Amino acid sequence: MGAYGIFLVAGLAVGAIYALSGIGLVVLYRSTGILNLAYGALGAMGAMVAWQLEQWNYPEPAAWAAAILLATALSLAYGLLAAPLLAYREPVVKAVATLGYALIILGIANYFWVEAPRRLSLFTDQMGFSLLGLRITGTRALAFLATLAATFGIAVFLKWTRVGLLMRALADRRDLSSMLGVSVLRVETFAWLFSGILAGFSGLMFGDLVRPNPAALTFLVIPAIAAAIVGRLQSLPMTLAGGLLLGVIESMTTLIKPIAPYRTAAPFIVAALILLWLQRKRRLTFVGND
Amino acid sequence: MIAIGGISVSFGGVTALNKVSAIFNDAIVGIIGPNGAGKTTLLNVFSGFVEPDSGHIEIFGANLLAMAPYKRARWGLRRSFQTEQIVDDLSVGDNLRVVLDSLPDRKRRGNVEIAEALQFVGLLEKAGILAGTLNVFERRMVEIARTLVGSPKLVLLDEPGAGLRRQETEMLARMIREIHDRFGAVTLLIDHDVSLIAATCMSALVLDFGERIALGPTFEVLNDPRVKAAYLGVEDAA
Amino acid sequence: MTDDALRDKNGGMAVAPSFRLQRWRVLVAVVAVALAIVIVPLFLNALWLRILISSVIFTIAATGTAVLYARLGLVSLAQVALVGVGGWVTLRMWHATGLPFEINALVGAFAAGVVGTLIGLPALRMRGLYLALITLMAAAGFQILVTGTQFPNGGTGVLGAAVNSVFMPRPFLGRSDTAMLRYVCVIAVLAYALIEANRRGHSGRAWALIRKSEACAMAAGVNVAFYKAWGFALSGFVAGLAGGLLAGTIGVLDATTFPASESVLLFALTVVGGAYNWIGQIMTGLLFRAAPAFLNDIGVDGNLAYVIFGAGLLHAIITAPNGIAGQMLDLVARWTSPSVKR
Repeated sequence: MGAYGIFLVAGLAVGAIYALSGIGLVVLYRSTGILNLAYGALGAMGAMVAWQLEQWNYPEPAAWAAAILLATALSLAYGLLAAPLLAYREPVVKAVATLGYALIILGIANYFWVEAPRRLSLFTDQMGFSLLGLRITGTRALAFLATLAATFGIAVFLKWTRVGLLMRALADRRDLSSMLGVSVLRVETFAWLFSGILAGFSGLMFGDLVRPNPAALTFLVIPAIAAAIVGRLQSLPMTLAGGLLLGVIESMTTLIKPIAPYRTAAPFIVAALILLWLQRKRRLTFVGND
Repeated sequence: MIAIGGISVSFGGVTALNKVSAIFNDAIVGIIGPNGAGKTTLLNVFSGFVEPDSGHIEIFGANLLAMAPYKRARWGLRRSFQTEQIVDDLSVGDNLRVVLDSLPDRKRRGNVEIAEALQFVGLLEKAGILAGTLNVFERRMVEIARTLVGSPKLVLLDEPGAGLRRQETEMLARMIREIHDRFGAVTLLIDHDVSLIAATCMSALVLDFGERIALGPTFEVLNDPRVKAAYLGVEDAA
Repeated sequence: MTDDALRDKNGGMAVAPSFRLQRWRVLVAVVAVALAIVIVPLFLNALWLRILISSVIFTIAATGTAVLYARLGLVSLAQVALVGVGGWVTLRMWHATGLPFEINALVGAFAAGVVGTLIGLPALRMRGLYLALITLMAAAGFQILVTGTQFPNGGTGVLGAAVNSVFMPRPFLGRSDTAMLRYVCVIAVLAYALIEANRRGHSGRAWALIRKSEACAMAAGVNVAFYKAWGFALSGFVAGLAGGLLAGTIGVLDATTFPASESVLLFALTVVGGAYNWIGQIMTGLLFRAAPAFLNDIGVDGNLAYVIFGAGLLHAIITAPNGIAGQMLDLVARWTSPSVKR
């Protein structure tokens, strides 16, 4: 095991958060038609505020709460104020608008937290246990378990609860759903709330496992997108698999000396391959409802 | 001559077309049936937007389904849509020119054919104007003119009469009747306006729930009890 | 189409930009641009010369982003990465062959065109959203790649990167900064002319129909995949040209100039400046390079530029799809042709 084991564990932990972010993206996309490219920025803001609170010696629960609440608030703000103004535009336009939001958040974050080496430590870093001869920190275990729990929980939620059913209806046929009296606003608000919480948690995890830097955290939306693409922007299990796969590939290629510096290009390569494969079967687009 | 053989199409669990076969020998053929009967789906099979699960289509001896969708236009297939697809930012003439761009020796034919098609629909004087400034009827006419450039062999018209006033429908009917003589193309026409079908089509195919329920000279088909039942409901037939 | 075809029933000129008015407007624009190119450089200090050169270079890159967005409705978030590709190939060519700048830059442009097409291929038959995503990932991938390989600066091997840089000399016509500014302006005009020529020809017509409806385009005989790919190729080509010019201006390039966020920003500013009109692309170049420098001059933190631009993008998307240029032109149109029906 040895070296392989260490990188595998690290890869699974980061990959789990890729997956979790991907799942947050997919759930939001299916409910609102918006692929939130500001997702990483939400987490980034949360993580930086958490880091700052730690620097000011606030108790750690405050940092956790701040991160998640802030990300959720930012998410809801967009969902309730900006998103309705673009309700009838095509998906790519809606996504581009979230890019604007990402730039705003990134600008603000960069303004307050200049590029500098930082560490975000969470109490789970101190915890750990051994499994199969490998040391696994509490944070990594939390990331992995939280992702599994979230995936399973969301799947159950979508299948068994009323709101979940409504979300599935919206994902399927938004226009018909609203005509049938599904409270689109309520369901969407829930989706923004939920994905905001996930974004905040992911931001915290990334801040700890990677590094708390606004730009880096914002662009971690890219592997999240790649995971979502593996899930074809709809399937939660596949998004989970995609995220874990990406994390592991990225991590394990550190061991292959010649291409090691380029390992963070893995999301692009994986996503490109998936897209190429997907469109082999695809005929073409239809008039209108694309 | 158009030969449709055993075309079947299903989406998910829904059968849109079920082994539809027909042979058309007339210059203008109508396709009618209640909503959801599969008429537009059939046209989509012709256009290549939908791949049938089985079946073949032969037009004047050519195997249509073997051609790539965008190459069917080059062969001579033309199509109008239920919602007209006219580009507002191009001139009327350019909207037609797009079709010619894909044909060889486009420079020679271009302006003459466009002028002919526009004159046919009565819009020649608007050739250089941005299409976005036209009214609904004129846009419909441009859509039809677009089907007539570049030596069309088969023109598919999907509800060209929808939303038109009586006078406009009559103008439309006159135009459709002349397509074969002026441009040498066979026309397949879908519409809900039975009087338009009766005024233009020599024969008609009737679809209901994806199946062919009648085919023959228009007058006979329109008086067929099964056709009446399909439109009015079984209880009210006979 | 003769002018007679444009007359309406009453013999008057029909509504919408008439041919004669357009020709006049083009003439005025050409003269104004030519005068600007000759005169403006004389009034700038050394720093602002450099800033404007950079602005014009990114105006060239923006014409590529704009043609994809305005004509095809496609979002490319990798344009600055493609500028980097062009710059990389231009530098590598010069260090390897010593050929004149123009040749190296053209090779760089072609290379960027090819790469741009390859990046777009996976998303060719998918929804526009996927293209935006794949280009974003490509931009991030390029950032990683070029941070690892660095830019060619006279070293040996395929990558040609060495510790001590050898600077590529300026093109013959651009030795001084003033001359370089005029040089890039001329290239900008040529790049724009290339894109315009395409737009007025069969490519532009095909793109317009594809944008309206891909299905209808196919039914009209348009090879949709080809014309989309052609759009990527053209857009990449002008990006590569910009990259070559950037390399030619500075002599070396650095990986820190090409992070993914810059590609995102360039797209955002293309929309904010106005994607549908050449004035918009000039605005884009100015916003991208001149505005941050100006903000710095007056003591405003550069990061706030991101905030302003992000807000600008949101605003443009929501309320003003034609961007600043579009709004300006609307105003001008209303003043000069009060009789035009809207």
